[in-house]
Amino acid sequence: MNNATNFISIEGLKFFGKVNASISHEIKNILAIISETAGFLNDLTDLAKQGEDLKLSLLENCTESIAEDIQRGFDTIKQMNQFAHSVDVPIKEIKIFETVELTVKLSNFLSFSSKVEIENGDKEDKPVLTCPFLMESLIYQILLFVYESTGPDGHVLIQFDSQKKDGTSLIISTPTNFILDGFPTPDIQRAAKFLGFELNINSSNQKLDIWVPYVSKEIVALEKALQINSKS
Amino acid sequence: MTNDKMIRLLMVDDEIKFLETITKRLKLKLFEITSATNGNEAIEAAKKGRFDVAVIDLQMPGIDGVQVLEILKKTHKYLEVIILSGHATIETAVTCTKLGAFKILEKPCDFDKLVDAIKEAYEKRLKKKFEHDQERIKQIEKLALGQSPLGILKGLAKMDKG
Repeated sequence: MNNATNFISIEGLKFFGKVNASISHEIKNILAIISETAGFLNDLTDLAKQGEDLKLSLLENCTESIAEDIQRGFDTIKQMNQFAHSVDVPIKEIKIFETVELTVKLSNFLSFSSKVEIENGDKEDKPVLTCPFLMESLIYQILLFVYESTGPDGHVLIQFDSQKKDGTSLIISTPTNFILDGFPTPDIQRAAKFLGFELNINSSNQKLDIWVPYVSKEIVALEKALQINSKS
Repeated sequence: MTNDKMIRLLMVDDEIKFLETITKRLKLKLFEITSATNGNEAIEAAKKGRFDVAVIDLQMPGIDGVQVLEILKKTHKYLEVIILSGHATIETAVTCTKLGAFKILEKPCDFDKLVDAIKEAYEKRLKKKFEHDQERIKQIEKLALGQSPLGILKGLAKMDKG
């Protein structure tokens, strides 16, 4: 199981770095918009001082834009915080919908991401005992593959099927055919194996099925290994 | 000194709100601006219009800023390109400089600094064009010496091909 902890550490750092880079890019963009809008307000004030008419609608647009982007900044920081806390406990019970939703939001900071719609037909957000960080990393990597296939103008649908009692199927589909060259990579396969997830690509009906057991024997073994490691 | 009215600017950024706001501000500075929200749009705009300076973001869906820079520098001899990005690393800065970027600015960037960079880029463009024109005049003068009108025309055609 040392293999698993090494893998989580190495893959985890890569994933953490990628997400951090995309979040910092998002925050820079938000600050750039606020900064330019505030600058534009200044320009309008200068023009008014020179005797130009000051249109109230322009002022309103600017203040609305600033308020919107401050909210966008808060949302980004909230997601960043939520993501940062996913490493607090290596194995814990999480809500599957909430975790997928967060991972989609994190992946949407990437410029090449597609539009993603999440549909939770089951309504109830099922609990899963897992390694939250590794699960987020796995779903993130899978989404990057899907985005490469669908492109920035593409549309991705994620659905949950909880008809079986021991787990949920996470179904990723697109209106077009998947072109998942090289999928799954060895790292994706290993992450899925450590989590006890199963990946099935059904290219004929353009679906990617991720089987997420509520409690897998792999995750129980990983939890024990991590407990032993922390004691030694 | 530059005449700001003459500067034709191509602004490229996939962050639409940023693009709209900075375009409004630059218009107040009397620049003539065309905006594009991705690499393909920028390349198409450059094919249709004439620009002195382009300000390009790096991370964009599809063709990224580095590729746009490379294509524009190949197809538009005198165009100066400024990179304005929130995602520039030392590696990308080195690549962009090698590809001929005039300046690399980090987002969020001081507006006056951006305006100054655009004016400097425009001055560089004018200088480069002027030097090239001077060189061409010299070549034409040399070519015209002792040549018949047809000989001059043939020589000019040869020069243009070269």
